Amino acid sequence: MKKKGLLLTIMVLLTLALLAAGCGGEKDSKDTAASGSGGGDTIKIGFLGATTGDQADFGSKTLAGMKMAAEDLNKEGGVLGKKIEIVEEDHGSKLSEGVNVVQKLINRDKVVAIVGDPTTGITKAVAPIAESSHVVLLSAGAVGANVVNTEDGKLREYVYRNTLLDAVAAPAVVKYLAEELGWKKVAIVTTKDLDYSVGLTKIFKKALADNGIEVVTEETIMDKDRNFAATVTAIKPHQPDGIVFTGYYTAGGLFMKEVKKQGLDINMVGGDGLLGSTLWEMGGEAVNGSMVYCGFEADPSMAQGKTKDFIERYSEANNGEMPNMFVAQGYDAVMMLADAIKAANSDDPVKFKEEIKKLKNWQGVSGTITIRENHEPLKSPVYLLEVVEGENGQQFKVKAAIPVEG
Amino acid sequence: MFEQQIINGLTLGAVYALIALGYTMVYGIIQLINFAHGEIYMIGAFVGVMMVTILGQGFFVSIIAAMMVCMILGVLLERVAYRPLRKSTRLAALISAIGASIFLQNAMMLWKGPQPVGFPQVINDAIYHIGSVEVTKVQLIILATSAVLMAILNYIVKYVKIGKAMRAASQDYDTASLMGININRVISFTFAIGSALAAAGGVLVGIYFNTVEPLMGVMAGLKAFCAAVLGGIGSIPGAVLGGIFLGVAETIGIAAGFSTYKDAIAFSLLIIVLLFKPTGLLGKPIQRKV
Repeated sequence: MKKKGLLLTIMVLLTLALLAAGCGGEKDSKDTAASGSGGGDTIKIGFLGATTGDQADFGSKTLAGMKMAAEDLNKEGGVLGKKIEIVEEDHGSKLSEGVNVVQKLINRDKVVAIVGDPTTGITKAVAPIAESSHVVLLSAGAVGANVVNTEDGKLREYVYRNTLLDAVAAPAVVKYLAEELGWKKVAIVTTKDLDYSVGLTKIFKKALADNGIEVVTEETIMDKDRNFAATVTAIKPHQPDGIVFTGYYTAGGLFMKEVKKQGLDINMVGGDGLLGSTLWEMGGEAVNGSMVYCGFEADPSMAQGKTKDFIERYSEANNGEMPNMFVAQGYDAVMMLADAIKAANSDDPVKFKEEIKKLKNWQGVSGTITIRENHEPLKSPVYLLEVVEGENGQQFKVKAAIPVEG
Repeated sequence: MFEQQIINGLTLGAVYALIALGYTMVYGIIQLINFAHGEIYMIGAFVGVMMVTILGQGFFVSIIAAMMVCMILGVLLERVAYRPLRKSTRLAALISAIGASIFLQNAMMLWKGPQPVGFPQVINDAIYHIGSVEVTKVQLIILATSAVLMAILNYIVKYVKIGKAMRAASQDYDTASLMGININRVISFTFAIGSALAAAGGVLVGIYFNTVEPLMGVMAGLKAFCAAVLGGIGSIPGAVLGGIFLGVAETIGIAAGFSTYKDAIAFSLLIIVLLFKPTGLLGKPIQRKV
């Protein structure tokens, strides 16, 4: 009995402590909100993303880029004489929490624009809220369909993104394969149970046809497959110059291992589904020479101007760590918004959203961005990475930065 | 190209056959479908990986070690999960088998995580040309190892005393025990041999597919079970035939462009064969006792 009583007391105390902590937190955030809107000398940009949970890496990197951009802007006197303030929230990688965060940012913090979410799913879920509240939502990561337009094809007026889309990247990469690497015939391998792969294969096939590369054989696999012997044997007699692999890295690495095992000396190329160290953890030496494209890769030896400066300053401030794609896109997102606000001479989203639509050949640190008539970004260059043997084992190295023409 | 795919199919089939042998031997004696058998195969594969990565051993030592570990595990499994239920209904033992299977999968996931683990390269690959066909060294090793293991099994079952006891027990369990055969020893031995073969299959597959993962035993186990039933459950040559038949059929299916349906191929084949030969390809006809 005595023990039970003690336990109960502890539980009550703990609950009280938690409540107290919760209240305290609430108060703090209210305070900052009040001081912000009271002053009227700041422009608030909300951050929508996760700093905890599965997607924490995407979110925290985006946030780091955004903060760096805000600092840079404020150092030069801000935008329209006002300081840029980044309002942080964490949705913990949960879709439902993402909706709450957006509502808080809009109603409580009165932000003029939100940068996020890095994932397609949450961006799509919150897009209608931003649209009806007349707040600009600029995603620095979403690549899926139906983000800047509704499911029935209607363009959204307040939702944009600054990411590299597969529909832009794949044709540029294929052109490079045809012109620089001299590929004439390829085998396409589609992972049948991944929407991503099926969609990417369609994009690749059109690009291959446009560039005169012949598809000698089309094979399908499943993402969980581990036995690729029969598929590779079926590809072998066609003697392709390379393999277009549209699936994920685990299957990709194992597939290449089988390819090399059967004595085919060719490489594969694929989208950012292959971008991860698992590729060589599975594939070993067999993936050396495999190529992957993505929107940004920090390579100090190739970077120039703005990008070089950005990479140097970021790595200096972060113990030599290189900025990744999310840092660069987060940085560019804030800068795009700032430029649109300057051009509109107003921080009213109703006005400056018109300027976002007009961005043409806008120079960012992750590349050049043009917002097309369908509100989708055209981003250049496409970074083509290659797996090479580096000092610390295998790594991705920039093989080419391929310019994209509108 | 067709011959080439047959080689791929034989390699896959040899592994299915190794696993199928364990199902068929256990069923032959105690009429139990040991659903945890696929997990023994998975654990064998993991032991192989650990022998190579942690202890730095080669192929030969790794496969022997995996077989030893799984032998003990198989005997232990029978003691803990099946022996206490031997006098109960067959359904109770079957459910215990499914439970053991789920337990082993999750224990492995807890320990190693659900992600696939790469199998380090233990065999420097080479390609041999035999006529118009190319065979990789790994394929040759899989075929040779399977053949040797099956030959040893055949010898044990036919000419060694404990093997003869196994055959006697499979014909009539009660009479065999009346004749002075220690039935518990025979059953333990059956589990030990079946598990060792599955472990060998696990290591070979790990080398062939370059990867192992905690759920690899589920599909492989089901396929091997299919192979055992296809060949006639309880029949040792049947399991080998069924395994090879299934491996070749599946490979040809993938080669013909039906990779999405490759699992369906195995199960459709099973249904078709059972429709025409309900006891499997080499199964004994059902005897009606008057």
